[in-house]
Formats: sequence, structure tokens, C-alpha cells
Amino acid sequence: MLLAATGAGQARLQRAGKFEVQQADTAGFLRLGNERGYKIALYMPNDRVTIFYALRSEKLKDDFFNVTYSLYAVHNLGDLEHGVVRARFGSMGRVSLRFRPSGRARKRDPQTGCEGGAETTEYGRFVGHLSFRGEGYFHVSSAKGEAYISHSPRLRCEKGQALETHPRSLRTYVAPIPVFPDKDSIALLYASTRSHGRYVGITAVHPGGSPPGADVQLGIVEPRHGMAIGHGVYLNGPAGTLLTSLPGAHPATATLAPPTPFYGEATYSEESDIWTGTLGVKLAGLRLPLTGPGFHVHLCVVNPLRDRDGCDFFKAEPPPDERPARLERGLR
Amino acid sequence: MRMRQAAVAVLALTVLFCVPGGAGAKVVHGRAPARWIDIELEGSNGYSIHISVNQRRHLLLQVTKEGYAAEYMTRDVLAETDRVKAKLLGLGTISVRFHPRGPVRHPSVFGCGSKKRPTVQPGVVRGTIRFVGEREYTQVKVHEAEAATEKPTSRCRYGAKFESNSREREWVSKFSAEDIGALFLARKYRPGTIDGGQVLYWAETGVRYETASGRVPLVVYRHVRVPAPASTFSDPHPGYLTVSPPPPLSGTGTFARTPESVFTWEGDLSVQFPGLDPIPLAGPSFGSEYCLRESGCIRQDGDYR
Repeated sequence: MLLAATGAGQARLQRAGKFEVQQADTAGFLRLGNERGYKIALYMPNDRVTIFYALRSEKLKDDFFNVTYSLYAVHNLGDLEHGVVRARFGSMGRVSLRFRPSGRARKRDPQTGCEGGAETTEYGRFVGHLSFRGEGYFHVSSAKGEAYISHSPRLRCEKGQALETHPRSLRTYVAPIPVFPDKDSIALLYASTRSHGRYVGITAVHPGGSPPGADVQLGIVEPRHGMAIGHGVYLNGPAGTLLTSLPGAHPATATLAPPTPFYGEATYSEESDIWTGTLGVKLAGLRLPLTGPGFHVHLCVVNPLRDRDGCDFFKAEPPPDERPARLERGLR
Repeated sequence: MRMRQAAVAVLALTVLFCVPGGAGAKVVHGRAPARWIDIELEGSNGYSIHISVNQRRHLLLQVTKEGYAAEYMTRDVLAETDRVKAKLLGLGTISVRFHPRGPVRHPSVFGCGSKKRPTVQPGVVRGTIRFVGEREYTQVKVHEAEAATEKPTSRCRYGAKFESNSREREWVSKFSAEDIGALFLARKYRPGTIDGGQVLYWAETGVRYETASGRVPLVVYRHVRVPAPASTFSDPHPGYLTVSPPPPLSGTGTFARTPESVFTWEGDLSVQFPGLDPIPLAGPSFGSEYCLRESGCIRQDGDYR
């Protein structure tokens, strides 16, 4: 899921008439094992970006789940095409690696609508220096682990079939992607703030017809020392997570009290347009309040018989400067 | 014999249908009869009783009176072309032999085309028919009764139906709530669309009696259909509904949205079938659906956990 969020396999394309070109590209991956419940990996979605990621996924009872992640994206100063990864993660660490293929490889034909050579994936390992200290909750000092590098050749594709262009901004590689569909939601609360370059957005959605509870998504994006850092949570909250006034009631009100890693609760009143309370989130290496005057809140409560499409996210759309580019593209 | 009673999924709208003896029909004791047998009886307290055996060797005893019907179905049947023996788990026994009397007829059947008329041989059955409904709400004991054997022609449906005529599909708003073993339907119409009121209520329950070995000697479906005035179905704004249907239903059911954005179906609504205690028709275990013809539907899963 997070691989997709960081733009896996995407390549630059050039449009020309009925056809378009998907430029050649290279991607790489190094699995670094588990630490404190997090799966740790180094991911190169293309030859220009390197991302450290930590992901923890818990399956709870009644098909509920809880996912937390942290992403650290920097530019790759090496040449991935030739198996070299060199990147600095500020004071958190650095990598200087060279890929050693094992000889095992796999070829895959181009996607439907495209023609050209096959994508080649070489399996092996990375050697060299790797150290990373992830905000106090994990520390990696070895490059041991399964690895691969995939080379995608330049492809000629029917228009619309080529993969999207890689985003230029590091920020877009760590921005949250909407996981929970808002199309059939009948209650949706979105609270966000942006301060000193840090974006914090929390969304709670109740899909029509579902049992009590709400799906909650938190995304935090910030720049730091040439890095883009993203933290996030996706979870299914139980009964009591999101309580709202009924459709048509004014002033509309809402209370949000999601389960761990969140703590406390927040309330919103349309009348005062204030988002107050003790709500916060405690992630590995991060404890962050999620209320305050800097937050903008959008509340949507609809009657499914009057608004058949449910709470369209764009009814609660934040101002463009509060919306990460990746989030915007994912929804459009 | 130790028995277990379990609710079964109710068969909404069409409770009984005639199916030709095809691949799905299992023969339990020898050759399946080529004909059905139908026996008409009068029970006590004004109930009509109809006994039939179909090609699947299911014996069905139907008890009806006005909008009420109960169907007792057993597979513990010894059925041949002209002989039936069955036990109805503490409610009665049937052991009769058919004797033809009079010429064969080809009557028309609701739901079947004119080319699919069955072949009916009238006659009498002789032997023992004894049935006592729960708490003796009706009973019958005879040694001879009018009957007929029927040779079905094709896949034609008949039996109890919620919609007895096509105008009953012209509802304005409707509500249904379903749990395992219980179904409640309510439909509201414009004035003059249906007879007897503006709202049509339907309640149906199903219960299966099962032995420790898993055998199912008896399944009982009961339903009632009752028209009522518009005042019994109040939906002042979309998403909020209160129903207070007339007897044999009683109490009130309310469908409403909560601050959790969940639609609840609550209240003391129940149905009282003859010979039984009231059966609840509202509560958190019921899944529900409320529809406005012009706008769509709201569906809410029940809490089956």
C-alpha cells in the first residue's frame, strides 16, 4: 500500500498524438526486517528518490485493522541504473550502497496497451554502509536483507496507458493517500492545519449502512533538513469514534474520539467554528496534539435519501495550500 | 427424542412453490410419486387446513384464516402415488390412501399459463388425519376427506404471496426488517391503491426443529398480512419512521438515525400468531431497509454478533 503511495513503477512519459512514451526507469527495494513491530525497508521508487519506510499493521477483531507508518524521503545522489544508492537523511542517517545481483532475474511483459522491451527484475543484495535512526523508535545499521532492482525500458503506449510521470516534489512521496472511500459516507469530518511547512490532516468517515464506528485516517507531512517526512495512521474505529448532529440540524456538531494511537477527544461546533479538546496522536517518536485554533474543520452530515452520493470529500475540501499534491491527485 | 428448535431464514414473498421433479429432487424411499396429493379440510375455530405432498416428498400442512397462514413441512413422509404416511412432530399424524372418484379435470392455476394446466384426479382419502395446532388453536380429526391427486405440468409458482395484485408494487415508501427467522415488511401507498387502508403489513417467521443427529423432522413458517390506515405508518421526514400496525401485530417500531450515523430499528413491535407467545420484530439484531420510491433506500446491517 505504501509502495503505491510513493509512486512505485511510475515513469516519465511524453505525449505525442495518439501515442505516448513511457520513459525508461529503474526502481529498487531493500527489505531490512522488523523492529519493534515495524517492517523496515529502503525503497527507491525511481533513480532520483530514496525512501526509508517503517510500517506497522495490526489486524484487530471483527476485521478491524490499524496501520501506522513513517516515511523519510530524500534525493538519491547515486546512480540506481548502475546499482548505486547514496543518500543523506540529515542527522538521522545515511546510505552508501552498491547492488550485487545474485544471478536470479525475472522478466515481465509491458502492461496492456504498451509495447517495447520487458521489465527486468534482478534479485540480490546491497553492500556498503547503511545507518538510520528513526526518531528514536528504530535503528538500522546493516544493509543485510533481500533486495532487487527493476529496470523498465522505454515503452510506446496507446494514449492513456503509460504510467504517470514521477512527481518532482519529495513531499508528494510521503503524503497520505485516501484509503477509505468517501463516496458512500453519510458523515465525514476533516480537520487540518498547516504551520511552518507541516501539514496535519485527520479524516473520519462513516460509510452508510455500516455498523457503529468510523474509519479514521491521519496524515502528517513535513520538510526537515532536505527530507520530506510523512507519518500516518489508518484505522477502523469502534462505536463512539465519530458522533455528529443529525442532518439538517444547526448548529452542526461533532465529537471525534478515535482509539489508540490516538488519545483524548475533540469537539467541533459549526456555531463557533472551533475545534477544541484533548485529541492527539502518539506515534513512535512523535506525540502531537490534534486540536487548536490553527485547525480548519469541515463537517459533512448527509441524509442518504437526499444526497445519494454521500459525503463527497470535496464538500469538505481544504484550501489548496493545505492539501498535499499527492492527496489532490489521488482524489481527482 | 431430544429436539432443538432453530430459527430459519424466512422465505419472503413466495413461501411455497411447485417444482418439477428435476435434478434437485431427492428420492428418499423408493420411487417418487408421479403425482401430488391435495387434501382439503376444515379445522376448528374457522381455520382451513390443506394437506399436500409434492414430488420432493415434502408433506405440507397449511392452516389459513383471513390474513394468517401457517405451514408445517415435514420430510418424514412415506409417499406413494396413492398412499401417504407422515408424522408432524407432536402435532399430528397423517396415514391415508387415495381412492379416485369422478373424471379427471384440468383447472387453471394462478401463475401458470393456459398450456400449463395440471391434470387433477378428484377422489377421497381414507385412513387417519389428526392435527392439533399449538395450544389447540385449531384441530382436525377425520378418517375420510375429499382429495385430489395432481400431475404437475411445468415450473409454475403458486402459494402465499405478499403481493396479491400488481398494484401492490406501487408503494410510495416501504420498510423491511429482517433477522434470522423473522421478517417484517411495511408498504405505504397513495389513497385508493389497495383495499382496506393505505399501508400493508406483513410479518413472517420460520422455525426449524432439529434432532441431535441433525435430522430436520419439521419446519414451520407462519405469516400474516394485514392492511391498515396511513396513520399507522408515520415517516414525517426521510430517515425517520414509526410504525404501529394493528393486530395480530402490536406495539411500535421506530427507525431512526443516531449520532453514530447508524440507523436503529427499535421498539416493542411484535406479532402474535395463534397458539404462540408474541414474537419480537424489532431490535438491534434486525437488519433494516427504508426506501422512498423517488429517492432511494437506506440500508443498515443488523448486529448479528
